[in-house]
Amino acid sequence: MKTLLPWLLWVWMAVVIWAAFFYSPLAAGFIGQSSRVLFFHVPLAWTAFVGFLAAAVWSARYLFFGRRLRDDRAAAVAVEVGFVFCVLATVTGALWARIMWGAYWNWDPRQTSIILVLIFYGAYLSLRGAVEDGEKRARLAAVYALLGVVVTPFFFFIVPRITYSLHPDSVINSRGEVDMESRMLQVLLAAFAGNAALFFWIHNLQCRLRALAEGKARP
Amino acid sequence: MWRLASNWAAEALAVFAKDWRCEFRTRYALNTLALFAFTTLVVVSASLGPLGTSAARGASVLPVLLWLILLFAGAAGLPRSFVHEEETHTATALRLAATPSALFCGKLAYGLSLVWALELLVAPLFLAMVSLAVRSPGLFVLVLAAGGFGLAAGSTLIAAIIAQAQGRSTLFAVLAFPVLLPLLILVVELTRNAVAGAPAGMALHQLLLYDGTVTIFGLMLFPVVWNP
Amino acid sequence: MSPTDLRFSGVSRRFGHLAVLAGVSGEVSAGQALLVTGANGSGKSTLLRCLAGLLAPDSGEIECREEGRSLDAAERRRRVGMVAPDIAFYEELTVAENLAFFARLRRARPERPAELLERVGLPGDRMAGALSSGMRQRLRWVWALLHRPRLLLLDEPFQNLDRPGETVTRELLEEHLAAGEGLAVIANPSSLEVSRVAARLELGG
Repeated sequence: MKTLLPWLLWVWMAVVIWAAFFYSPLAAGFIGQSSRVLFFHVPLAWTAFVGFLAAAVWSARYLFFGRRLRDDRAAAVAVEVGFVFCVLATVTGALWARIMWGAYWNWDPRQTSIILVLIFYGAYLSLRGAVEDGEKRARLAAVYALLGVVVTPFFFFIVPRITYSLHPDSVINSRGEVDMESRMLQVLLAAFAGNAALFFWIHNLQCRLRALAEGKARP
Repeated sequence: MWRLASNWAAEALAVFAKDWRCEFRTRYALNTLALFAFTTLVVVSASLGPLGTSAARGASVLPVLLWLILLFAGAAGLPRSFVHEEETHTATALRLAATPSALFCGKLAYGLSLVWALELLVAPLFLAMVSLAVRSPGLFVLVLAAGGFGLAAGSTLIAAIIAQAQGRSTLFAVLAFPVLLPLLILVVELTRNAVAGAPAGMALHQLLLYDGTVTIFGLMLFPVVWNP
Repeated sequence: MSPTDLRFSGVSRRFGHLAVLAGVSGEVSAGQALLVTGANGSGKSTLLRCLAGLLAPDSGEIECREEGRSLDAAERRRRVGMVAPDIAFYEELTVAENLAFFARLRRARPERPAELLERVGLPGDRMAGALSSGMRQRLRWVWALLHRPRLLLLDEPFQNLDRPGETVTRELLEEHLAAGEGLAVIANPSSLEVSRVAARLELGG
């Protein structure tokens, strides 16, 4: 069963990509086929946030539940993989922005949030690179990851007020109802599930690789 | 119970007093902060030109410049509180002698007093040099105080983190920037409101919430950063 | 079993790929001293730092009991008196100001610094930055004894000391051990005649 899962994921993602182009209708108000970026950009962004949260959870586990280096490794890998997802989300978002609004970057609130998460990721990785001792590195990085998670919510409720958003209405509109055509929503959620699964699969592989490498390095 | 609290307070006070006593003997931080802030101030004012900037542009751009000056001066002068301890190896003695939370509070109080002193120097000079009139001086002072508090709190914790790492000066800026960004956005908005005479609104609550959150987080997690 | 003692077992610590300590064990009770010997780089200082609570060992147990109660790492840090080469003081403050600061932190009696300074022969009004290495070492002893600790951790305690300095610090050590409650772990590269040595621990190899 375990060896089957990656193949299942491959098939799932293939179907999602097909569905993004052929199953889902176009969204209103977008130029040409560009609304299809939705199925790539949004799940990438959500997964980047999930990665950020996962890193914080593992960091908290490291600090408060036994200081196991395994948890620290998991946090670091979550940031590394999440970083890639974040970069992809930012780039796809910028491309879409270019098509829709003529400029790659507008400091609209969502763009600002994703950039902030990206900067936090980068800062976390810089911190890890600057500490040699394993125990100290784990400890300091874990605290910083938690600080990041504590600070980012401020962003989400202060930034929207500063500028109005160029972003399309969110999936859930102000009334709290889901405001998207049902086929689009299906593909979007399926894409998110696929992205998240991809994240955790790559994460799992990387963690195991690291563990092996560390075990091997020891004489 | 009371004895414990007053011991703790005495410790924090001792750390605060010690830092200031050392500071008066060397004047390192004060000089750095003042020099940095003053130089930047002169550059800003000079580049805006002798007649300043138009009132409309001024109200929106100048608050940003003020806070950038404060932010960068802070980044230049505040990390020293912990970095110096590690560099001169006095940190070992401190680790063995001080209660971590009291140490953090003492250092925070020291950083806060530096930031407020800096603001006392910079803000009036800034207003004068760029000819900016503030319609709600009360709000302006409040924003400086609360914003300065947030700056000190965030900087103290991050200083404690980077003091134990390599590449300290650049690393401080890298780690502090994302943490202080929400603060910056809030204080700039509030300063704009103060200049325009508009009410503070939700932003003030959020600023105070930010200050409280970062301070409590620092108090709780500083012992983890400080000790193995 | 005395109410104050120190036991450690299986203490290991590595830095990167280098295993500096590998499964070190020992114990010492009140009134006794444990002498830790070994070549350079055998982990003596690392062991003492672990015992002091300044370093967390990768594995192993350290148990320090005072008055029958077991101390955790944070309490150990605060209760221990340590003399080590890397302990430094604030250069911009005088000796007396340094000690007053630490006395306040450690809740020692305010008169204690002056008593110890006189005993050891250090001028209180000298800037800590202007001390010779021998005087610095005497200052480290004073600092370690400010709060009347039970456990003394001494890493190269007699380095840089002249004859009078060594005499007075040895006396202080003797008094500490003779008082009944005190114990000490001493790390020193050269063999040293210290009475009441309960055991020797050889590291390295």
